Amino acid sequence: MKDMTHTPIPRAINWNRLEDEKDLEVWNRLTVNFWLPEKVPLSNDIPSWATLTDHEKQLTIRVFTGLTLLDTIQNSVGAPALMPDAITPHEEAVLTNIAFMEAVHARSYSSIFSTLCSTKEIDEAFRWSEENPLLRAKAQAILDTYAPGNDPLKRKIASVFLESFLFYSGFYLPMYWSSRAKLTNTADLIRLIIRDEAVHGYYIGYKFQRGYEKLTELEQQKLKDYAFSLMFELYGIENKYTEELYDELGLTEDVKVFLHYNANKALQNLGFEALFPPEVSEVNPTILAALSPDSENHDFFSGSGSSYVIGKAVATEDEDWDF
Amino acid sequence: MLDNDLITLDYHALNAMLNLYDGDGKIRFDADRMAARQYFLQHVNQNTVFFHSLDEKLGYLVEEGYYEEAVLDQYSKNFKRHIWGEAYARKFRFPTFLGAFKYYTSYTLKTRDGQRFLERYEDRVVMTALALARGDEALAMSFMDEILSGRFQPATPTFLNAGKASRGELISCFLLRLEDNMESIGRGINSALQLSKRGGGVALLLTNIREHGAPIKGIENQSSGVIPVMKLLEDSFSYANQLGARQGAGAVYLSAHHPDIMRFLDTKRENADEKIRIKTLSLGVVIPDITFELAKRNADMYLFSPHDVECVYGVPFSEISITEKYEEMVDDKRIRKSKVNAREFFQTIAEIQFESGYPYVMFEDTVNRMNPIAGRINMSNLCSEILQVNEASAFNDDLSYSHIGTDISCNLGSLNIAKTIDGKDLGATVGAAVRALTAVSEMSAIDSVPSIRRGNDESHAIGLGQMNLHGFLARQHVHYGSPEGVEFTSVYFAAVAYHALRTSCELAQERGQPFKGFETSDYASGSFFDKYITRDWLPESDTVARLFDGIDLPTRAEWEVLKADVMKHGLYNRNLQAVPPTGSISYINNSTSSIHPIVSKVEIRKEGKIGRVYYPAAFMDNNNLEYYRDAYEIGPEALIDTYAAATEHVDQGLSLTLFFPAEATTRDINRAQIYAWKKGIKTIYYVRLRQEALEGTEVQGCVSCTL
Repeated sequence: MKDMTHTPIPRAINWNRLEDEKDLEVWNRLTVNFWLPEKVPLSNDIPSWATLTDHEKQLTIRVFTGLTLLDTIQNSVGAPALMPDAITPHEEAVLTNIAFMEAVHARSYSSIFSTLCSTKEIDEAFRWSEENPLLRAKAQAILDTYAPGNDPLKRKIASVFLESFLFYSGFYLPMYWSSRAKLTNTADLIRLIIRDEAVHGYYIGYKFQRGYEKLTELEQQKLKDYAFSLMFELYGIENKYTEELYDELGLTEDVKVFLHYNANKALQNLGFEALFPPEVSEVNPTILAALSPDSENHDFFSGSGSSYVIGKAVATEDEDWDF
Repeated sequence: MLDNDLITLDYHALNAMLNLYDGDGKIRFDADRMAARQYFLQHVNQNTVFFHSLDEKLGYLVEEGYYEEAVLDQYSKNFKRHIWGEAYARKFRFPTFLGAFKYYTSYTLKTRDGQRFLERYEDRVVMTALALARGDEALAMSFMDEILSGRFQPATPTFLNAGKASRGELISCFLLRLEDNMESIGRGINSALQLSKRGGGVALLLTNIREHGAPIKGIENQSSGVIPVMKLLEDSFSYANQLGARQGAGAVYLSAHHPDIMRFLDTKRENADEKIRIKTLSLGVVIPDITFELAKRNADMYLFSPHDVECVYGVPFSEISITEKYEEMVDDKRIRKSKVNAREFFQTIAEIQFESGYPYVMFEDTVNRMNPIAGRINMSNLCSEILQVNEASAFNDDLSYSHIGTDISCNLGSLNIAKTIDGKDLGATVGAAVRALTAVSEMSAIDSVPSIRRGNDESHAIGLGQMNLHGFLARQHVHYGSPEGVEFTSVYFAAVAYHALRTSCELAQERGQPFKGFETSDYASGSFFDKYITRDWLPESDTVARLFDGIDLPTRAEWEVLKADVMKHGLYNRNLQAVPPTGSISYINNSTSSIHPIVSKVEIRKEGKIGRVYYPAAFMDNNNLEYYRDAYEIGPEALIDTYAAATEHVDQGLSLTLFFPAEATTRDINRAQIYAWKKGIKTIYYVRLRQEALEGTEVQGCVSCTL
């Protein structure tokens, strides 16, 4: 019986024997999308940063520390917590990639800070994030669900809500600035993060749906109730958080509509119907249009844009050189 | 469809609606038009300084030091009233939000605190015309007419600065050689700073600088190679950027057979170390034919130490035709060399292009074969359309010039193909454009960089470009890249070349002198004209003949006459045509960029000064969408065929961007490069990729992300 105490040896992962094609598709997408914050010339935003009022600066830093906290949770707790639940070895590999990119995201906010802000401002904002009760509350709500022994599908629900919903009250601000021609390189960086989070939320939601399908109708109903009640809880916190941050700029109403839109998207990722009717989820067109990273025509001399990827290398053959 | 609610939206929101389909899946062009209108009502009109009369306005602007008095003093009061009256009578309106927004954000004259507008579009056009016509009333009227009608659009530095009292240079673009010594490198960095401060893009040639690990004064392993020079340049450009009104920008070119070539490319890698990563400097690689031959044989390509080559041949590396001397240099044991596999070299280029869009590529032998001027072309510029010969400078110990060589500058302006064809008088439009560009050359004297000044004084090189090809073809219901589209391009560019040469020959007669070095050019020998007098360059298909309805095209007999005139009188401008990528000016001018296909039906434009704005392709409506297939759908071959037809008639280069879906491989990029080289393309500008959102993650109802 002594053998039982050994750690089981995992099966060597064979990407040529896929149990779920989606794993490879998402793996490929995530790896070609690999990026590091150094690629974005954030320092070009320094003149634009100087045009913000003190209050706007403080708001921006606070929003980013809030995002840093969420990314830290997802990197250190969220993605690792999902790993033991993985059904296929490939899913586990995808989750390690997700975990790593979350660390890159958290790192990116620090790049923004160190480029634009003074140490004092940064320290103040981090202290704020440690003390802000609403930020603590949403972190706690997610972390409770991630706790060991919890239902794997509930963990996925929390993870999708974090990836597809909670981030967006923060993402609103850089998109707003960029539509006003401010902090456009920072917005590029955030758009790279959004590009990743969109895939993360989609993938974890997809895995949730595969597990959900196997449940009995009763179990399904219970889980769905759980998802909606968690959403209500988070939405309540998020609403207050939004008011606290955005009231002074007069943007709260707009951000709330954006929250509705993203709450619907998060539920859609889980395969559930929308919670908010279309009338209250019509996002300001400047923000919605700003979310799409595709085919943007930037002037290359001031930024690197968000559309480049790591390419697939294939050697040329003799026939290619037939001239 | 646009209900009254929308009027409460601000102009940014209205403009953004262009990127979101309406309930019926239609593109909301009307929202963008309303955005342009609201921009004037909500912002421009309220912030424009009001004057009771033109006299009051000009008096104020001169007195306050906004307008250059000398420009206005060349004309009578009556004439000024006349030209301004004519200009305002045209009732110019910006058809798109981005056009208006870009103009008022970046071009128009503002009060010193940047808060209030002092000019409308008509004022900028008239001031540009008055400045460039230098007192000639008829010429000023013709410049005003060509610019305001949209047929001719001067490049940004000219249009932005002309007539203003405190201003940058009128010239767009500079190219500098660096030689293999510290004086040249130091002076080059200084020149880059000076030119950047004045608002130009600067490209530098690194090919002659000895490689990493090469000996200095005979001591081995001393040189640091080209990367640290690139770092210095990158920092210089971002520093100068803070002083000038325009973003400082630079490019560097390196020969494919320089030993540092792989290191040079790796600076753009995603995971490059911060010490060597190059973020904002643009890269270009100069590739001779021999590299393709070696790749075809799947052989290794030798890289040669520039210092040794210079010692052996007595001239800098960049003056050598590598294709010609390749075997000789391989066998010469005095030249130290290393090697890489040629196909791997091409594959690496493609990999880096995937990650960063760079490097640009210049096909060295094609460029030199098609160069009518004596001398070698060894580099291009920031937009890869300038291709001119240069000459090395030499320096004394105190950094003064012991020999002032020639470096390259180029002032640009582009015709809107659709408006030019609508105007029916190609000769008049091209003639006015060439005269306007020549004026910029004659009015410029960059004393801070004597080699640039000498180059400009001797050559009067200009670059007449073209834009709105796709918009024009689509409006006429011709597909971009179709046989008719390619045929139109060929006929049009041949006719432009004819009128440009004709005007430059007139200028040579008026000024009483041709450009320096005319005698040794293919123009002087007449051989340049061979291809125009041995065949016709006229429409063959009915479709294309109809596109030129009512327009005089040059016949073979007229080319014969031109040949005789040129051989007798010479040309005033050493270089005439260059087709730039046209970013900003094509928005103001309501054109599709350059002769490229559109990148998207609704283009997302992002820039430091304007943020993220949405732009509809010229002449597009919900009924002609099928003619607006974008560059990714059209694919590289049709694009290259179109460019090849134009290249034939352009003495310098054309900025050619290649477009691929993100699923493409490096092999696809390499194949397109080989095809471009085979078709006689001179340079490749960016490689651009478009990644489609993963199914399920896309933003719903977004025009630019739906195919």
